[in-house]
Amino acid sequence: MKRLFTLLFIVALTVVSFTSCVEEEQFSDTPEGNFEALWKIIDQHYCFFDYKKEVYGLDWDEVYAKYKPQINDNMNETQLFEVLGKMLGELRDGHVNLYSSYDLSRYWSWYEDYPSNFSDTLQRNYLGTDYRLASGIKYTILDDNIGYVYCGTFENDLGDSNLDQMLLYLAPCNGLIIDVRNNGGGKIVSAEKLASRFTDNKLLVGYMQHKTGTGHSDFSSMETQYLEPSDGIRWHKKVVVITNRKVFSSANEYVKYMRCCDNVTQIGDKSGGGAGFPYSSELPCGWSVRFSACQIFDKDKNSTEFGIEPDNNVSLSTTDFLRGKDTIIEFARKKLSE
Amino acid sequence: MLSTVSIEAQNDSLQTKGIIDRCHLYGVGITNILDTYLSPENYTGIEVRFVGETTRTTQLANGKISQYQLSMGNISSMNYRDGNGSEIAGMYTYNIGWHYNWILCDGHLRLQAGGLLDFNIGFIYNTRNSNNPAQGKLYLNISPSLIASYKFRLWNRPFSVRYLLNIPIAGVMFSPNYGQSYYEIFSEGNYDHNVVPTTFICSPSLRNMLSIDFNIGHSTFRIGYMGDFQQSNVNNLKSHTWSHLFMIGFVKRFKILPAL
Repeated sequence: MKRLFTLLFIVALTVVSFTSCVEEEQFSDTPEGNFEALWKIIDQHYCFFDYKKEVYGLDWDEVYAKYKPQINDNMNETQLFEVLGKMLGELRDGHVNLYSSYDLSRYWSWYEDYPSNFSDTLQRNYLGTDYRLASGIKYTILDDNIGYVYCGTFENDLGDSNLDQMLLYLAPCNGLIIDVRNNGGGKIVSAEKLASRFTDNKLLVGYMQHKTGTGHSDFSSMETQYLEPSDGIRWHKKVVVITNRKVFSSANEYVKYMRCCDNVTQIGDKSGGGAGFPYSSELPCGWSVRFSACQIFDKDKNSTEFGIEPDNNVSLSTTDFLRGKDTIIEFARKKLSE
Repeated sequence: MLSTVSIEAQNDSLQTKGIIDRCHLYGVGITNILDTYLSPENYTGIEVRFVGETTRTTQLANGKISQYQLSMGNISSMNYRDGNGSEIAGMYTYNIGWHYNWILCDGHLRLQAGGLLDFNIGFIYNTRNSNNPAQGKLYLNISPSLIASYKFRLWNRPFSVRYLLNIPIAGVMFSPNYGQSYYEIFSEGNYDHNVVPTTFICSPSLRNMLSIDFNIGHSTFRIGYMGDFQQSNVNNLKSHTWSHLFMIGFVKRFKILPAL
């Protein structure tokens, strides 16, 4: 009887296993199928629905109702790409893109609608041609003994030795300008590594929260983010971080970290934001889609998705431009000399 | 001292001690992989697999309990739809367990029933994703296991048909949470239900193999079909790997004799 029961149990298990397929809905490779697939991916994975509903009234169901009538089986690939790109644009998120082999849909209004506040022509007047360059970071000492560091990307891995050598070279300076204008981000660990040179203590710099389910409000608890001080050479004097609207993603994170450190002032324009950790997925037609999947907050639990306001909002002036002066760098030098 | 015997000699009673059956199989087939952490699309492609299987008699229950070990590795390369995206996957599996043996039908039919510890480690890599490029696979299951083998003669030659079935009923699995990044788990150290208990309800999986053994000269060869269906639905992440493989290899039987 016992053996019979065991046999029946195994047979039942077999039946359950054979009949229980773990499957995901597969949409057809048609304009409608691709539209439905994209809408669902974003609906289930995007992390800023609640926040953006509060800020500007985003309603993803309304977006569906607005764009679905624009989809029909007679539209060509280019038309479909355009409609899907516009639908994603409703999210107002620089981390959201649709990739085809011939185009990239994007929402870049977070910097395209504002003055650039950066000129490489002006920057050349400060950097000259004999600046030092390590791991993509350009640095020099200005004639008033202020160190100037330009970090235009966090795509590169920053080595401890690179940063040690840089800070050793700049050590005699009275203050330091770290210019991250036009830095569109890259590796978050590179941003952490650079920021870790500006604190002697472990600092609470923010919080992270990921989705735990398909609902718009299904989130984990807020997990703390700490910035650990580097074991290498650390900077203790005054620092000015220069930002513009194109400071995005990991660079925005870097600004967030730096604002938690002592002796740091942020000047320039508001940063661009991008406080979502981006993930990728794909559509039946082969297009790839990127979207924000995890929310990142500052130390006061405020979202930095739409940027970080500077302590001093300074813009490039035309008069200074004609004189070959970068208004923001000049303001920073004055600030560090005070 | 080792000795090798053919199928005909395998009619020995189960109580024979120190008998080791060892089988090496190589397989190729098709696979269908889904992992919604990476993509909602089903990827299909080619898989190659190696299987090493050892059964040895023990002295337990008067020799009616045998020990079973399986070491298996596979790697696959896949695309979806019209080949726009590609994924690479690999898995290593180790099983150890014990079976109770029944010899029926005048020794022609051998039934084995028991349980296995089923350890699996692997990965799926999506070649174009950004911050979610790969999914790690790590799980341990307890699996009831059945093996039935039937010996017969045809054209005056010995053959043996064998069917193996393993079905996990419970276990533990590593999984990121639904939208959790590996950066958050490993760089920030944020744990969130990353070790998940599983049952045959949320992880309905099955591994089975139908094969036939035959002799050529003094060697025993095995050809067969392996169907390996590993599935899970944990942390709202769905995953499946459905593999259908043609396997071919050889079987050896050893007897360890005490040294004189």
